[in-house]
Amino acid sequence: MLLDSLSYTAVTGTKKGPDIIVYALSTCGFCKRAMTFLQNNGLSYRYIHVDTIPIDTKNEIKRELKEHYKVDVAFPFATVNGTKYLVGFIEADWKLTLGV
Amino acid sequence: MMMSEKSLEDTRRFATMVAAKQAWELNPDQEFTESLLEGLTVNWNRYGYFLCPCRDSDGSREADANLVCPCVYSRPDVEEFGHCYCALYLRNGFSAAGGVPVGIPDRRNQ
Repeated sequence: MLLDSLSYTAVTGTKKGPDIIVYALSTCGFCKRAMTFLQNNGLSYRYIHVDTIPIDTKNEIKRELKEHYKVDVAFPFATVNGTKYLVGFIEADWKLTLGV
Repeated sequence: MMMSEKSLEDTRRFATMVAAKQAWELNPDQEFTESLLEGLTVNWNRYGYFLCPCRDSDGSREADANLVCPCVYSRPDVEEFGHCYCALYLRNGFSAAGGVPVGIPDRRNQ
């Protein structure tokens, strides 16, 4: 899968938490807010700004995410341990799913 | 024809004008709004049009037509949720009444 071979940027937190990957737009306020939320809660995560990579790669990322999680992709889109997902930043949902 | 670059101040004037015309207000969260204005500026200088900072491009102006700020979904979103998808524009009085913008569904996917 393409998702396994992307160059993600790693941010290290203070807690041992789940494996979180954030697909984000560099221009998006809620994407920034979501990643600030993770940092403020001491969670480690990896992220990629999909608006800064070739469109074919971005479209393949969206196709793979949609196929795997059976949901339309919007940003921020976060995967948790490769089994759960969060779409858009609604803090209450992120707290619930991430247990913080 | 080369599209001239826009500055953050150009984008601020544009967004202020849109808000005034639609009788909306700009999000009073200054840090958040600043990041959106920066995002819009990046998108203008990248694509040549004000693509919504919270939507990804489908690759052309034609494909992105519905997503150019103020996007075609902004009016129903402001009516239903009190703010547009990226939360740059708020219904007048939304913040004064204690409203806080949150992520909302993308009508593009509905």
